[in-house]
Amino acid sequence: MSDAQTRFVYITYIRTTPEKLWAALTQPEFTKQYWFGVTMESDWKAGSKWEMMHDDGRVMDAGAIIEADAPRRLVIKWRNEWKPEFKAEGYSRCTMELEPTGDVVKLSVVHEMDTPNSAFINEGVSNGWPKILSNLKSLLETGAVVMTEKA
Amino acid sequence: MTNPNEKIVPPDLVYVTFIRSTPQKVWDALTQSAFTTQFFFGRTIESDWKQGSPWRLVMEDGRTDVEGEVLESDPPRRLQVSWRVDWIEEARALAPAIVTYDIEQAGDAVKLTLTQHNPGPVPRKFVDAGKQGWAAILSSLKSLLETGQPLVIRMKPPE
Repeated sequence: MSDAQTRFVYITYIRTTPEKLWAALTQPEFTKQYWFGVTMESDWKAGSKWEMMHDDGRVMDAGAIIEADAPRRLVIKWRNEWKPEFKAEGYSRCTMELEPTGDVVKLSVVHEMDTPNSAFINEGVSNGWPKILSNLKSLLETGAVVMTEKA
Repeated sequence: MTNPNEKIVPPDLVYVTFIRSTPQKVWDALTQSAFTTQFFFGRTIESDWKQGSPWRLVMEDGRTDVEGEVLESDPPRRLQVSWRVDWIEEARALAPAIVTYDIEQAGDAVKLTLTQHNPGPVPRKFVDAGKQGWAAILSSLKSLLETGQPLVIRMKPPE
């Protein structure tokens, strides 16, 4: 990482298959369960539009699919749309990599911005991902999330 | 290309996970061998967990993996230990890390925050291995407490 970047990295290991994890990362019936009501709209092809919506229909984040190699790698150009100071920072990049190992899948999420001291990364994303991915892991391993409210 | 042997003073490693459990169960899992043998790569753990006492993480063949001192112990909320890796020769000479577990109720979940502070320079390969290792260990801990089954994750030590 160069000094001109802000980066958040989170790794989690989930007892599941890459196909199920990919589906959970992209399909609304899964995301709304573990992502506090959020759904995403995209056809998940490189170059396509990508939007994340709150359950009341508000667009929270938006951008485009940079790379989609199901069920291995997904890269999203990602901008926050609802918080002016986050939106002003412009587009971040989120890379998700899924690697199977035995009956477990390693999921790495790298969310980065090409500017130093990004508030979107350091305040928004860094607080959000551990909750979202803890919930996702529980949903896939136990059938239920840990938190229904974003504490 | 970064050199894996280059020594850096890394920023604190912080890993947060939310677990369906109670603070007491999370504390027990971190401090009792009945749990650590399942999620911490087979290691047993030894200490009376009182401030100032020694503690040790022991490998299945009896060698010491990590040893140190209990710096702070406030069950089931906070445990801070010094952390000197013993089984890798190159790691033995490094300044011990300070490892802190903070355990708090967060809504229906328990929030576990792991913080590793390295006061001195550490080769990059150990910094990277620490990030990978803690993610594997704490993912397996979460699975163990939520499903009764830890994860089987194969991992090689840094070379």
